[in-house]
Amino acid sequence: MKAQWAMVIDLDRCVGCHACAVACRAEWRVPVNSQYDGYSFIDDYDKWLEVVSAEGGDYRRNWVLRLGPERTSKGEIAFTFYPGLCNHCDHPVCVDVCPVEVEKRTFKCYKTGKTVTMEIRATYKEPFTGAVLIDKERCIGCGNCVEACPYRARYLNDTLEEPKADKCTFCYERVIRGELPACVKTCIADARIFGDLSDPNSEVSKLVRSGKARRLESSKVKIGPNVYFMGKEKNLELLFKHFAPRKRTWEEVEIGARSRRGLLKLALRNLPRLG
Amino acid sequence: MKRRDFLKLSAGASLALAGLRLRSEGLFRKAYASPVAGEELPGSLGAKDIPSVCEMCFWRCPIVAKVKGGKVVKIEGNPKSPTNGRGDKARVCARGNSGIKLLYDPDRVKHPLKRVGARGEGKFVKISWDEALDEVAHNLKKVKEKYGPHALAFFDHGSSAEPLREIFKALGTENYSNEPAFFQCVGPVMVAFLSTVGYLASCTMQYTDMANAKAILLVGSHIGENVHVSHVMDFIEGLSKGARLVVVDPRFSVAAGKADIWLPIRPGTDTALLLAWINYVIQHDLYDKKFVSEYCEGFETLKKSVQGWTLDRAARICDLPRDKIEEAIKILAQARPQVVIHPGRHSAWYGRDDVYRHQALAALAALFGAIGTPGGLYFPTPISLGKVHSIKEVEPGESDTPLKDKYPFSDPFPGSPTHEIIRATLTGKPYPIRAWGICGVNILQTIPDPYQTMEAIKKLDFIFSFEMYPTETALWSDIVLPDTVYLERYDDVYVYDGLPECYVTVRQPAVKPLGEARPPYWVARELAKRLGLDIFLAESEVEIINEKLKGLGTSLAELNRQGGLMVLPAKGAYDRKNFSGGQGLKVKLAVEDFADEDFSPVPVYEPTPAPPKGFARLIYGRVPVHTFSRTMNNEWLHHEWPENHAWINDEVAKRLGLKDGEEIILENQDGKRSFPIKVKVTPGIRPDCIYVPHGFGSRSPKLSRAYKKGASDQFMISHYVQDPFMGASSHRTSFVRVVKNGKVLDIPELRPLPPEIPRFKLASAAAAGEGRKRKHRKSHHHKVTIEGC
Repeated sequence: MKAQWAMVIDLDRCVGCHACAVACRAEWRVPVNSQYDGYSFIDDYDKWLEVVSAEGGDYRRNWVLRLGPERTSKGEIAFTFYPGLCNHCDHPVCVDVCPVEVEKRTFKCYKTGKTVTMEIRATYKEPFTGAVLIDKERCIGCGNCVEACPYRARYLNDTLEEPKADKCTFCYERVIRGELPACVKTCIADARIFGDLSDPNSEVSKLVRSGKARRLESSKVKIGPNVYFMGKEKNLELLFKHFAPRKRTWEEVEIGARSRRGLLKLALRNLPRLG
Repeated sequence: MKRRDFLKLSAGASLALAGLRLRSEGLFRKAYASPVAGEELPGSLGAKDIPSVCEMCFWRCPIVAKVKGGKVVKIEGNPKSPTNGRGDKARVCARGNSGIKLLYDPDRVKHPLKRVGARGEGKFVKISWDEALDEVAHNLKKVKEKYGPHALAFFDHGSSAEPLREIFKALGTENYSNEPAFFQCVGPVMVAFLSTVGYLASCTMQYTDMANAKAILLVGSHIGENVHVSHVMDFIEGLSKGARLVVVDPRFSVAAGKADIWLPIRPGTDTALLLAWINYVIQHDLYDKKFVSEYCEGFETLKKSVQGWTLDRAARICDLPRDKIEEAIKILAQARPQVVIHPGRHSAWYGRDDVYRHQALAALAALFGAIGTPGGLYFPTPISLGKVHSIKEVEPGESDTPLKDKYPFSDPFPGSPTHEIIRATLTGKPYPIRAWGICGVNILQTIPDPYQTMEAIKKLDFIFSFEMYPTETALWSDIVLPDTVYLERYDDVYVYDGLPECYVTVRQPAVKPLGEARPPYWVARELAKRLGLDIFLAESEVEIINEKLKGLGTSLAELNRQGGLMVLPAKGAYDRKNFSGGQGLKVKLAVEDFADEDFSPVPVYEPTPAPPKGFARLIYGRVPVHTFSRTMNNEWLHHEWPENHAWINDEVAKRLGLKDGEEIILENQDGKRSFPIKVKVTPGIRPDCIYVPHGFGSRSPKLSRAYKKGASDQFMISHYVQDPFMGASSHRTSFVRVVKNGKVLDIPELRPLPPEIPRFKLASAAAAGEGRKRKHRKSHHHKVTIEGC
């Protein structure tokens, strides 16, 4: 099996403390869009879709949404959380909609030093980890990928001189240097388990094999997310009811139109500097 | 769309873009320069690590501040810490992670300020430190000369307050440490545990071995929303190893979400439940006879006193199903002695009943033999620091009429009950109090009846505060001195004396103070000079730190060579025989000292008045990303949680026509009204309560983010009862109803009240009867006024 980093989030351990979300913001200097203060109270997928858009939305790589207390179908009360991040999907629809021209790039495995050359756009699935990454130098900030992601795991950082797409990298930069992802390192409840699915002995592999850890997907949206959730049935019921992706968002992305608009936006921003 | 079509489409789009892209190369410069070595590593990698101690709350987790380019860029747990650094992690909570945004908050007080408008108005001019300190010294001296030393009072909290406390002691006032942390928080639990088990199983630290428990009982404690890192870790570790959990709480807390049994108890009846459980345990032989005979006194007295407490009686009073109560106590008893009967912390709930509640918790723990045992309550390790010679401690004398005289069990604790200070300030009786100093506590968002506090402040000759933020309390001060953030200063030596291992660590600066903020020791020393008090002999905090560390055979330099933290072995956590320096554990199931002061020696249930008709009891609690009212302005924490919501039972909401997310105003029994607050409609709360997370609804316009966000629970708590044991003031004795679009809505009573429980009597016309009349009048007659600053 090809290497694939993955994370399992145990909702039975999670207390919804938001340390993960803030540690990520600190580590990667993710700006705050104060218009979206209180984003964590959003309790419904359709509203979540509105919060993040290429036209200007919230900025975050890692989030905690609070679900309940609410009655489940069995009449129990549940109170749980949606700690979310990029799923580094098997079939990343965000990569498919990147309009930037392909370029040859040689990748080196951070463990073995092995290399592989492949064609990539501005965003790509890294071959030795399965992490979906963004080449910020090539990104034109068109926002296609932001609109395409059914989980709203990407955002357009337009606080920069040139807007760029951004998102969770599974802390690729840290992990290849022997550090844990920032959200995992700070998790006070040890609710986040990070590892490689290609290693059958890793904890994530074992949890996924056991069937305990589930992908947050629906019959409509199945693109192979590599963040898994486990926990009491009542908690998973709430999570899936409110946040299993329901919309094939990527099908609505008009690649040409948006990227042209993205470029135009960029040009306009730079106009004053052209003198 | 099929995946293949997709790829085709993207390829086409790229081709179409090719032309544009060519031109773009000349047009746009690269936003990202290629990284160079060291500090330019991505994220916090390559930063310089400064070990220190967090102060986003009082739990004091060991941290490392990561510094790049002279700025703190990240805060992580100290990986050497046996508490938050366990395994390969280095944990800090959301607040710990956000210390940077306190440090660099543009709203911080960065210059000494002098009031120019009326008190509370918030008009200040910047002055120099010399001017500010002269002013403080002059006024303290003047008040002392005119009214005597006890006319000075100091409200304090946290480590910044310690040097200033020495000043008030040296000035001779008995009111030198009127800590809301005691009188608004832990007073009752401290008195109960000190009197029954002989040590503070719960105070700043909590010696609960939840990690090894087979069952855990939480009464009102909402661990998970109330976040202290190692405490949450132990809780989760215990649960993950299979511990059963019983949560007694009128609200479905995060902990309730993880519980085997949730008991949504009628507020104010916890002691009744505990007495029935104690009786059940004794009657059904579910107690640890060996432990009771070896370590306990007063068993027969306790046994006799609880005889009338059947589960049926408790079920009726507590409004809980009898079978659930029984199931819960069986779960707890079965796990004995590996059962944590959590002592709780904030316990100033109702007044008189509070000590008894915690006394009953201690008794239940003792009956289960769950004290000084793995999986129960354990003993701290005695660790002695070196004696400090460079600060001359002066013990102030007592006045002829000490303010704590009415409260026989306040004596071992410093200072006077906060409400005695406030009333003496208002009335001049038993003696006048004319100057206040305040440090580390926003008294207007902490002490019940802030309206009374504001009236008291108006009577003062002088009031100053030492603050990081322009809080409500700062706005009411004559002089505001800018305090340093914990990342800018040395403080104390911190010892952790719990499980799994102990440690010693030190708070030290990661960066220089911003603006004119100055550390507490410097400020106190400068003030002492001006007051002619020769008490601070050390030139700097480092001298004091080294004196303390000497007791452990180390120094600051040595500690820093070891990563800023030294691990010490935990000793005697379960050693009952050698407890308390060899005295051995002695549990008093009946406390004679209580009887000597005309209290009951055994816990008794004293009902607190139920909500008046048309009102719900106001209850409150913590949210995991905020500390007290202190962090609401922090950019990152504010983004996660900018405002609070009023939790209203779904059935009640339906009857009142309230929808989730709708904006309302709360009105309390004295007609005080809150800022607008959104409703959270949920089955997770009893119909006779409204829950409002604490600390929001700031009334300081100088806190640009927190101002008017959500509603302040504190400004709704205008009725309080003082605990006759130690003078703490109750927080859960106020009641609210809903105002929607200017219309007052009475809360329907869905759970009938048993005759044993009296109802709260409304004092004024502003309350219920009048309210119902108002409903028939035109709604706009009811003027919406916001009280406060």
